[in-house]
Amino acid sequence: MIYTAIAAYLCAFVTSLLRRPKTGHILYLLGFAIAVFAFGYRWYHVRHVPLQNLFEVFLCLGMIYPVSVFFRHFLRVGGYSADMLIGAIVLFPAGFVFNAEPQRLPPALQSWLFTPHIAVYILSYIIMAKATFQAILQLADKGPNANENLLPPEPATYRIICTGFPLLTLGLVLGSYWGKLAWGDYWGWDPKELWSLASWLVYVGYFHFRYMFGKKYPQINSLWAIAGMAAIIITLLWVNLSRLFPGLHSYAT
Amino acid sequence: MNKLRRAVMWVALALIILLLFLSIYGAFIGAERAKSFISRLPLVVYWSAFLLLLITALAVFRRLVSVPRLLLIHSGCIFILAGSMWASEAGHKFQKKLFGIDKITTGQMRIHEGHSDNRVILDNKQIKELPFFVELKDFQIEYYKPAYLQIQTPDGQGWKIPVESDTEFSLGPELGTVKILRAFENFKITIEGENRKIIDDPQPGFNPALEVQFTSPEGETATKYVFERFPGHSYSQDKFQMSYRRVISDYISRLRIIKDNKVAAEKDIEVNHPLIFGGYHFYQHSYDAEAGQYTVLMVVSDTGLTVVYAGYWMLCIGVIWHLWLRHIVSKIKK
Repeated sequence: MIYTAIAAYLCAFVTSLLRRPKTGHILYLLGFAIAVFAFGYRWYHVRHVPLQNLFEVFLCLGMIYPVSVFFRHFLRVGGYSADMLIGAIVLFPAGFVFNAEPQRLPPALQSWLFTPHIAVYILSYIIMAKATFQAILQLADKGPNANENLLPPEPATYRIICTGFPLLTLGLVLGSYWGKLAWGDYWGWDPKELWSLASWLVYVGYFHFRYMFGKKYPQINSLWAIAGMAAIIITLLWVNLSRLFPGLHSYAT
Repeated sequence: MNKLRRAVMWVALALIILLLFLSIYGAFIGAERAKSFISRLPLVVYWSAFLLLLITALAVFRRLVSVPRLLLIHSGCIFILAGSMWASEAGHKFQKKLFGIDKITTGQMRIHEGHSDNRVILDNKQIKELPFFVELKDFQIEYYKPAYLQIQTPDGQGWKIPVESDTEFSLGPELGTVKILRAFENFKITIEGENRKIIDDPQPGFNPALEVQFTSPEGETATKYVFERFPGHSYSQDKFQMSYRRVISDYISRLRIIKDNKVAAEKDIEVNHPLIFGGYHFYQHSYDAEAGQYTVLMVVSDTGLTVVYAGYWMLCIGVIWHLWLRHIVSKIKK
């Protein structure tokens, strides 16, 4: 199912580039439907919300379609075709890299906070990935067509980060509250916690820099957004996969 | 922006970037060292500077006070920082010096089943006493069902067999079949005269094991024992390496707080469900892996916690209000 979803997303992306938006949209929707089915099947199979390990997290990240639609229709932000590619990219590790063997929830993960804490993080990560794409467009000096009624990349980046940042904050705070319940401390200085804080601080820095200079240095604004995504990738992947960062979040590997 | 405000903004940006790099550095050195690193003097100066900067920002930028959502975000950060400093080891020492409040910051208690204790072993191995006793009525470990018997051949073939008594599993035409005869909680061998007897000992102890019978394709049977605590144990003549695996689903300590010879509180604590009493939180931390006879509780002072949680609420409400709600409300109004 994951391979089919990847194929559908890639076909949707190529079709959109070939200026066949309707076919692209249908394929994108098909890929999304398959990803939702795969996620639902996994849920049924493991008998808990499948957000325990990197395989399940990346499977969930693959359900990007509603985020694309929300941003395009409600916030006038483009990147619809790029979202198809992002969908394929995030499903790739689930299909080819991570171990899909089901695992039972250890006692620490049996909490009402398990789903909201991880779900808000996943949503914020996918939103920040969209912001990064807009930031790259800004650096490449590319924008939407005039007839599309979409925001230029710099304000689009800002609008996306404004949407994703509260989720990032909620994720951090819920994680801290959960840490207090499970481990006795709301801040354990664990590598995963510190990298999450670092990601959050990059966006705090972005907001303060943009408040100081507005759109005077759009390239630097974009670089902040890209640095935020780099910190998120490290938080999500490097911390769990590298032996450099042993910590309390090792069950996510 | 006037000069003072610009200066405050630059300092804010510098402190944010510095904290960003400190976080990354902390991630590389590991949780234990990072924890001791942040309580060193230069870092105490940094936290104080950050707190001072936030207060200065509220004084200098009128908008941060007049716009409630911005006030919530920034004062939320002040609450989190102040609460954490108040809750720290240094904060507890300060409270003892200034107000005579002598509380244990954090420590551990080891209590045997049926016993009560009020002694807490601190991180520096000192022992301090709580003003009440904690009694362990019972300690339980629960496991997911089914447990599994894992069998591996030297050439890498493997099977994961659910532990169900008297069910036979085929290992293929060359290897025969395997049958789980019995599961033990506390495997023991007793010797009476010349007889060896294998029993599941009801006395305190913890030695989970399986009695497994192999039948070769020729019909020869052999009985083997697989121990949970010695995974992969095998004899040189064995064709297989076996492990008995059970996954823990929960640890439960049934606790009672005794104060002035009366039961003041009672709770079954599990991971994620601590007991809160008398200014302390009691967590399920560890247990007796040899015999399951005692539990290890972590005792943590609740000083400053309300302030930190208030800061969390303020920060979240402020951020959501500032970045989401005001836009949604203005769109609805239009």
